[in-house]
Amino acid sequence: MLIQTTQLTKNVETSEGILHILQPTDLQISAGETVAIVGASGSGKSTLLSLLAGLDLASDGKVSIDNVNLGDLDEEQRAKVRADKVGFIFQSFLLIPSLTALENVMLPAELAGNKEAEQQARELLGNVGLSDRLTHYPNQLSGGEQQRVAIARAFVGTPKILFADEPTGNLDSATGHKVEDLLFEMNQASGTTLVMVTHDTELAKRCQRVLRMDAGKLTEVTGDVG
Amino acid sequence: MWARISWRLLKQELRRGELTIMAAAIVLSVTAVLSLALFTERLQSGLTARSAEFLAADRVLSSRRAVDESWLERARDEGLQLANRVVFNSMAFANDELALVDVKAVSEGYPLRGELRTAEQPYAPEQVTQGIPEAGEAWVASALFQELALEVGDTIEVGDSQFRVSKVLTYEPDVGFSVFTDSPNVLINYSELEATGLIQPGSRVRYNILYAGPGEALTEYEEWLKPQLNDDTHNWRSIEDGDSPLARSLRRAERFMLLASLLGVVLAATAVAVAAQRYCQRNYDVVAIFKTLGAQRQQIQRVFIMHLLLLTLLSIATGLLLGWLLQGLVVDLVASYFDVNLPPAGSRGYLLAAGTGLVSAVMFTLYPLLRLIEIPPLRVLNRQMTGSGSGRWLHWLASGGTIYFLLWLYSQQWLLSTALFAGGALAALILLLVGRLFIRASRQAGMQAGSAWRLAMAGLQRRAQANSVQMLSFSTAIMLLLLVLALRHELLADWQEQLPEDAPNYFLVNVAQSDVEQLQQRFEERNVEANDMYPIVPGRMIAVNDMPVLDEVSKEEQESAEAPQSEQREGFGRELSLTWRDELPPNNTVVAGEWWQDNAKPQVSIESEVAERLRVGIGDELTFNIGGEVFTVPITSVREVNWGSLQPNFYMIFNTATLSDFPATYISSFNLPQERKDELYQLFRPFPQVSLIDLDAIIDQLREVIEQVSIAILFVLILVIIAGILVLLAQVQASMEEREKELVILRTLGAPAKLLSRSVTYEFVILGAISGFIATLAMELSLWILQTQVFELAASVHWRFWLIGPLAGALIVGTMGRVACARLIRRNTAQLIRRLA
Repeated sequence: MLIQTTQLTKNVETSEGILHILQPTDLQISAGETVAIVGASGSGKSTLLSLLAGLDLASDGKVSIDNVNLGDLDEEQRAKVRADKVGFIFQSFLLIPSLTALENVMLPAELAGNKEAEQQARELLGNVGLSDRLTHYPNQLSGGEQQRVAIARAFVGTPKILFADEPTGNLDSATGHKVEDLLFEMNQASGTTLVMVTHDTELAKRCQRVLRMDAGKLTEVTGDVG
Repeated sequence: MWARISWRLLKQELRRGELTIMAAAIVLSVTAVLSLALFTERLQSGLTARSAEFLAADRVLSSRRAVDESWLERARDEGLQLANRVVFNSMAFANDELALVDVKAVSEGYPLRGELRTAEQPYAPEQVTQGIPEAGEAWVASALFQELALEVGDTIEVGDSQFRVSKVLTYEPDVGFSVFTDSPNVLINYSELEATGLIQPGSRVRYNILYAGPGEALTEYEEWLKPQLNDDTHNWRSIEDGDSPLARSLRRAERFMLLASLLGVVLAATAVAVAAQRYCQRNYDVVAIFKTLGAQRQQIQRVFIMHLLLLTLLSIATGLLLGWLLQGLVVDLVASYFDVNLPPAGSRGYLLAAGTGLVSAVMFTLYPLLRLIEIPPLRVLNRQMTGSGSGRWLHWLASGGTIYFLLWLYSQQWLLSTALFAGGALAALILLLVGRLFIRASRQAGMQAGSAWRLAMAGLQRRAQANSVQMLSFSTAIMLLLLVLALRHELLADWQEQLPEDAPNYFLVNVAQSDVEQLQQRFEERNVEANDMYPIVPGRMIAVNDMPVLDEVSKEEQESAEAPQSEQREGFGRELSLTWRDELPPNNTVVAGEWWQDNAKPQVSIESEVAERLRVGIGDELTFNIGGEVFTVPITSVREVNWGSLQPNFYMIFNTATLSDFPATYISSFNLPQERKDELYQLFRPFPQVSLIDLDAIIDQLREVIEQVSIAILFVLILVIIAGILVLLAQVQASMEEREKELVILRTLGAPAKLLSRSVTYEFVILGAISGFIATLAMELSLWILQTQVFELAASVHWRFWLIGPLAGALIVGTMGRVACARLIRRNTAQLIRRLA
């Protein structure tokens, strides 16, 4: 199993008592799988994603990537795991505004000490159709273009897993579809495991597995997602 | 790799103006420190150089014995100019008359600073004279012409030598400010000194070596010489040393400029501190993205430290250039305005400025940077996350330590730095507390107000914690502004008042008792404003509480005999000018005991600094010897004397019963405008023995000191205004960012632009007004300390600042808030929402 959780739980303390954001969850995702997590706003999808990616720590239970328990690692070691194995795509793109498209894509590779960062970044930007936008800054790009830069950035380190949080949530539907196509094409070409949080059931259907999150409880969806 | 990433980030951020505030703050602090340091250094050395003429040299070594020749050689090697001046009392004979004179033998080159003026006849127009008397000649003060019935060309006998009187000596730059040098001067050539036969072992002679030259050479020589000097025999001084009004005035000028500059430095540093916070906040997202993408902590640290260093170094370079240009411009202006030449400054200013920029950028950013590096990666999903706020003490420690260090770095004075810092820290604490109280109170008031007000008050209350910190920087900026303004208007005015247009410009000494009434009448007839006449009785103080004091003569005897007894007090080593009086003289304040009423019992009032030096107080008994008559009087009051006033001032004043039976001469001072100078001869013709001391030159110099200080403070004021605006701007901008989200929500919900703009404006107006009020309070406190402790002035309350402070605060901060808000509201709602996404 590439990703495995056992009784993974997240609680937060509020003034009105303990809030169970994620009920104890067991989940296995194998290499190369594409998985969509759907659910209403506030159902805990993003929390699960942050735990799976090691961005946040669980209150209880275990989550492991490549058989390494993230709970046993400190912040630095978790960052290393992300640098080596994980790519991200966010709803709000989260590009660094003062870096060009090319520099944004190069960044993770550079942080990982990859000497061919620039060449790989150019290639990936070519793949997403932005060869002529290399020196543009995020504020000079449209929403769709920004998300394509983000996709290129996500693939630059040839990650094993790609986490996507509402990747088309900030885009109009036509642009959204183009970005989806691109994402799935690239994913297929690289054989990356995709874990995607979305409330768009159409998008979710394009994944091999769909999980539904409802008030912190995760269930496997079989049959019709909608 | 990280250096490359840092540079990429910096390049674009600079281009987009995102670092403008931080860069501007560092540039400003460097510019301010550099231009202040260079300008005040140049102004100060210019003033000192021009004041040096009253010493006839830059430095004087005064000695009781002839000075070691090797000391002089060393000075010549250092490239210093030298001249000899030997001064002693002697009797002079001419035309069968006899008079006590001060003989001054000077060598070629004298005076090294300033100029001699002579006339062809007594009271004839004087002219600047080059050179010194030839061998065999003497230049003689006009008073002696009367006393010895001399005429130019006569012969005067001093000791074994005879001199032909070739000129009337009308002005010597180094005559000093002592009005009690009542024997007229005879100036002769140094080469004639030995021939007079007056210099014998044990004779009371002052050997003076005059030095002049560039500052560094002087300092170097001074450092070499000082350890070899013997306090009992030698006295090394510059124009800034001593008790003369000019020395006091120069020292006060130095304190004024230093203090004003320090305020500028602190404010510039505050601007960096405020900007540093913002600098880090706007990188929160970037760090979260870095972390999400797998960046290691060390990598992030390196990227941002490099980023900050690059930004700082660029800003420092810009600041140095700007500062250098700015001071050059100001120096040119001052030079052409006052028609003076300001000597160039050393390298200290540059180091100081670069150091200030670097230290404040690094230290103020330390804590925000630590927080920045602690930003959790989860922020990419949850934008509210800002990491832990712990370790805030580190921030206060680093910031406080930095301000303290900068104060010390600039002033090199522990005491002044500590006093300013402790005062500032206390004020900050009070500001913080009072600020919170005010905000709480305003909430109550706001509940009854209209909707824009209510919104404003609610906002104030909700952001109480953030607001009270903001208020601290608002208040600090406004306070420093007010303080420099007050320094310029109030303190400087007090100082100027001591030198009014009609300040006495002549001292009158040696007036016979029989002439007093006639002279006063003459003044009245000719409409000359004269001060009181003070009787003068020369006398020595010989004992305190029946213990004899160490005197100059006895000291010399002891040097060869046994070591001085340590408990024995040091006397004055000379005759004092004693006076008596019924009323307390103007410019004197009794600080202990009481001024006497009509009282027949003998008593004396002593000047406070002398009392301190002699370790005496009320009830102690002083013994005096006047012309062989010895008597003892108790001290019944201690007076503080304003030595800056151009009035006759005395160490010892007796009541009438004690002294009035002794024979006395009188002194006074009066004002005669320059254009009426011709009347002097007519005025004093009937009183040939009276000597006049012309103070115009020294008064002009005193005025120049004040005027230049006033220019310097104006310059500081302008810098402080710029720094203040920058602090306010940075703070308003930072707090607008906090308000942004709320404004967007209200706007989206359909709140009219007018309501939002008003509520923001009101919020800032209230913040500004409270800050202004607190600032005035703090300023008043600081001013009180400055007036009473630093500048020896009377304390006063500055009522108009109580109006200016809050009004200016409300106006400036309110306007800035409104402008910042208007920019936000101009955007359409869709744009706004995207901005928050």
